[in-house]
Amino acid sequence: MYKMFLTNLKMMVRGRQALFWSLFFPMVFTIIFGFFFSGDTAGVGTIVLINQSNTELASSLEKAMGESNIFKIQKETDLGTAKDLLKKNKITAIIEIPADFGSPKLDSPKQIIVINDPANAQSNLAVTGFLDKYLTVVNYQIQKAQPIYSVKIETTTDTNLTYYDFVLVGLIGMALMNASIQGIAISMAKYRQDKILKRITTTPLRSWKFVFAEVSARLVQNLVQISLILIVGIYFFHAHIAGNIFLLIVFAMLGGLLFQSIGFAVASVATTVDAAQGMSIAVTIPMMFLAGVFFPIDQLPKWLFSIVQYLPLAPLLRMMRGIGLENISPFTNQINIIIVFAWIVVMLFVSIMRFRLADE
Amino acid sequence: MNNVISVKNLTKKYGSLIAVDRISFEVYKGEVFGLLGENGAGKTTTLEMIEGLRKPTSGEIKVLGFDAVHDIQHIKERIGVQLQSSAYYDYLKLREILDLFGSFYQKKLNPDDLFKMVGLESKADQYIKNLSGGQRQRFSIIASLINDPEIVFLDEPTTGLDPVARRNTWDIIAKIKEKGKTIILTTHYMEEAEILCDRIAIMEKGKIITIGKPHQLIEQAETPYKVEFVLEKDNQKTIDRLLNACEARDCDIKKLPGKTAHYEMHIKSQELLNKAITALQKENPESFTIGRATLEDLFIELTGKTIADEENGNV
Repeated sequence: MYKMFLTNLKMMVRGRQALFWSLFFPMVFTIIFGFFFSGDTAGVGTIVLINQSNTELASSLEKAMGESNIFKIQKETDLGTAKDLLKKNKITAIIEIPADFGSPKLDSPKQIIVINDPANAQSNLAVTGFLDKYLTVVNYQIQKAQPIYSVKIETTTDTNLTYYDFVLVGLIGMALMNASIQGIAISMAKYRQDKILKRITTTPLRSWKFVFAEVSARLVQNLVQISLILIVGIYFFHAHIAGNIFLLIVFAMLGGLLFQSIGFAVASVATTVDAAQGMSIAVTIPMMFLAGVFFPIDQLPKWLFSIVQYLPLAPLLRMMRGIGLENISPFTNQINIIIVFAWIVVMLFVSIMRFRLADE
Repeated sequence: MNNVISVKNLTKKYGSLIAVDRISFEVYKGEVFGLLGENGAGKTTTLEMIEGLRKPTSGEIKVLGFDAVHDIQHIKERIGVQLQSSAYYDYLKLREILDLFGSFYQKKLNPDDLFKMVGLESKADQYIKNLSGGQRQRFSIIASLINDPEIVFLDEPTTGLDPVARRNTWDIIAKIKEKGKTIILTTHYMEEAEILCDRIAIMEKGKIITIGKPHQLIEQAETPYKVEFVLEKDNQKTIDRLLNACEARDCDIKKLPGKTAHYEMHIKSQELLNKAITALQKENPESFTIGRATLEDLFIELTGKTIADEENGNV
């Protein structure tokens, strides 16, 4: 069995195409998302500021924007140039402070102009939110009024989390899912098609030893995937993992087992490589988009959320994000762990009942 | 004689389809035993039940004294199996494949000796994709020998090979026999079975229709003698004269497909053979060869009768 395990590892390394999809592909996602969303700009991007006013209010607003850490400020003087940059998607919005804004003159302008691209909904919200809040404070000061009611925000973590942190954990789940489900389903279907499984059954090697060696080798692959994504995310793009990384890896590996059991279940019904490819894509693609890899699924319509929250990847990602981002014990919300184990049990049952090395 | 395999009333059904129908036979130690038949005759199913790959519907199989259903682990340690058109791992070199398969057994031969046996020493560190069809088949055979098995199962070992590769495979099978191994092979090449097999069983529609030593079976055939001849041109009168010479009801002349005026005469006895030859010489044929019937002739005789009986509703 040990020899079979080592041989499986050797074949994984030599199978360049499979290696690409299991390691390089998720790494590309990690790097692209890192470039777009890492750091403290929270993904709002660059804002062009055209400040035509010399007043104290305009200067203090400009200073506040610069110190806000919500967006990067690029100063321009010409509106035409700025609009051109916006059209080319090189910036996310233009803030124009008109001449004499903030001046005590009666006819001085009272509005700041924001020009944005409706496609950048998230950035637009951040820009208008910041300006609204700033001007509200200024209005209170001018009217010498004190706000009575306010909001106190407490977060579950002391760390300043970003969208990249959220998506990084999602990418780990996605990588494990794709490599395990597709890897197991396709390789088992190929082995069956080439009669390698049948050839194995003519030897004294027990079926469970063959499966155990396959699963163990895949877990090593999973560990490499998780480690690489975390290393690139944390060291190159400054992702924040507030919780226990070791625990995060342990539960990610649990995810590896979950997806491998799904892979064997798919392999038990797919008789050809083409069928295995089609079926594993049909299983992984919906989960990739509906189980919370790229965005929180509670933003989905309620009816859809009530269904997709039970997809195998969804509770796994909730657990992993709880552990990694919020430092919450996976046992705090036990429903997640129950769903994950329920999926493992169901898929193992299907695999044990249906997956055979030989035809009968 | 020591039997190493004993099959009694073996049956395999898939729903209403009877793939193997109450067959019984024994295989003796050290012999090459051939299971012959057309595609779908039940050869591979029989073999796979003996190898423990399929469960019999009923009947008994003993291999080296062990029950093939309950003691299959003991059997697997002592047999070697080469599957019909089986592939091996794409990303392992030949030596690594043998090492891997060797690790499944308690007893393991040195891969280099096996490579040497089939002339694949130079390919030991190559991937399977770099081998020709014949080399793959040779490798597939040595992969079945890695545990130094007492019985070797070869399922259609020469199917799809060119004549040279096929003859190379025959040599390898002969070498395995020389080492004292028992070999069971399936084939639909009658010439191959006739050359290689000590005994054969011909299967037809799941049943064994005859079993024995090839030469004895041929001698027992209805028409054990054969004369093949080519005339200058097709001439029915010549054929009629030949049929008269060898007493029409005891011989049979068939025009062979393809070549013009190419005939085959099947004859029941030595006496009639002599008469036929004398008559044929008078007709001045372009060529003629005299010989014994082959296993292929026997096979056609046996299975042809079955088909004719079925068509006549005599089954």
